[in-house]
Amino acid sequence: MADRPVHEHIKDLSNSLVIISDKVLKNFSCAMDTLLGSDRTTSEEIKLADGEIDASEVRLEEQCLVFLALQQPVARDLRTIITILKINTDLERIGDLAVHISERVPEIDKEFLRDFRFEKMGLLAKEMVQKSIQAFVNKDRQLAEEVCDMDEELDAMHRAVFKKVSAEIRHAEADAAQYIVAMSISRYIERIGDHATRIAREVLYLITGEIIRHTEGSFEKLIQSLKD
Amino acid sequence: MQMTAEEKDTNKVAAPGGASREIFLPPERERVKDGGRPHVSAKNFSIFYGDFEAVKKVNADILSKYVTAIIGPSGCGKSTFLRAINRMNDLIPSCYTTGTLMFDGEDVYGRYTDEVQLRKKIGMVLQKPNPFPKSIFDNIAYGPRLHGVKDKKMLEEVVEKSLRKAALWDEVKDRLDRNALGLSGGQQQRLCVARTLAVEPEILLLDEPTSALDPKATAKIEDLIEELRGSYTILIVTHNMQQASRVSDYTMFYYEGDLVEYAPTKQLFTNPRDQVTEDYITGRFS
Repeated sequence: MADRPVHEHIKDLSNSLVIISDKVLKNFSCAMDTLLGSDRTTSEEIKLADGEIDASEVRLEEQCLVFLALQQPVARDLRTIITILKINTDLERIGDLAVHISERVPEIDKEFLRDFRFEKMGLLAKEMVQKSIQAFVNKDRQLAEEVCDMDEELDAMHRAVFKKVSAEIRHAEADAAQYIVAMSISRYIERIGDHATRIAREVLYLITGEIIRHTEGSFEKLIQSLKD
Repeated sequence: MQMTAEEKDTNKVAAPGGASREIFLPPERERVKDGGRPHVSAKNFSIFYGDFEAVKKVNADILSKYVTAIIGPSGCGKSTFLRAINRMNDLIPSCYTTGTLMFDGEDVYGRYTDEVQLRKKIGMVLQKPNPFPKSIFDNIAYGPRLHGVKDKKMLEEVVEKSLRKAALWDEVKDRLDRNALGLSGGQQQRLCVARTLAVEPEILLLDEPTSALDPKATAKIEDLIEELRGSYTILIVTHNMQQASRVSDYTMFYYEGDLVEYAPTKQLFTNPRDQVTEDYITGRFS
């Protein structure tokens, strides 16, 4: 059966979300490449691109609100719009975190970075975001669950950074400022993974109608593991 | 997934196909006092027009003092089911039923059931406002008079009480002797609700009560349903799905005579279990 105009409209909103996710991923990749020295995009340029992302986010939110008010969707249509709204917010936050990473670049010594696995962390976080959006597009439950599982790995890498920093920073000759920057970068990437996980869970809500956030105590688990 | 404490409160309700299942009561703050018992129970209940089975082996309990909406495309059997509850279909010669339909433990189609008494307890308001061509007062007093109330003071009390319940008193109290046909459409429909309430029914059957009304009059009827919720068991047939989602606690979805899904309204409109329901409420029907 051919889609009705109302369902074409939902598709348009979904496509806008995917376009935003492309921009966010591009900016995040730029920020990581700049950090690792393989790109010369400046923090200002990344910030400028993020401004565009922010404007797109607001525009998409407005479109969703108008759709809710005028079309009064129910069931899967309602869940789709709610999911778009929430993913939209997560993507915007990921964009902000990419800017934060780029802002740390002038402060850090490139040689110092070699002691950490930020490239791997960045690639993993990027893959999580890509897969979570793919799960949204294809309504793929398995892929969404895979993203949730990947978060454990990223958390473990962040924990390793935390442990390394807390051990090294105690030495008298340690450059505390560098370690703090490293810790911040690790935290930003880990947060991006968290947003990807949120997106994946929102996709699971879209598919199943069940909200599964806060059911596994993942935040508490992370805090506990940092204490261990 | 873990259930919250409030979600654990359930009522055994017969589900389509005869299997018994649990239906959730609304959360505490939305729950009505002494409500939630099966008021009308259908068991393998079918309604035929000659050879045509318009309602097919329905198994369902209508819960007391809650609002239950019945939705579905035209000809799906929703009005037929509604009209069967107070035996309005008896007027159609070819119409007959199989299975059982119980009202408060009594068989609605039992050999000794008195239809007049049944219709006193189960009132009905139809799509088009249909006041009698009499005064406002006489319209409301008609039912009580028919049931033997003669005392003028008592009738006055019933008229005022019913009009107040139907949120019409303030608008008509100074012109009770005027002809009811002079009222606006929305007022006429509320008058019909008041006329039904005058005989103190337990159940209100509303058959598309706002389809002939403008948005303002519709809002008043919907507010009225909210007012009456908790005092009466209300069943409302409506083509307006937003109305069903706004006013009801439970929703039944009929399709081609089958009760496809019967669930708390919040669930049915956010996460229906059946694909046919999903397709209907999201407008994906071919």
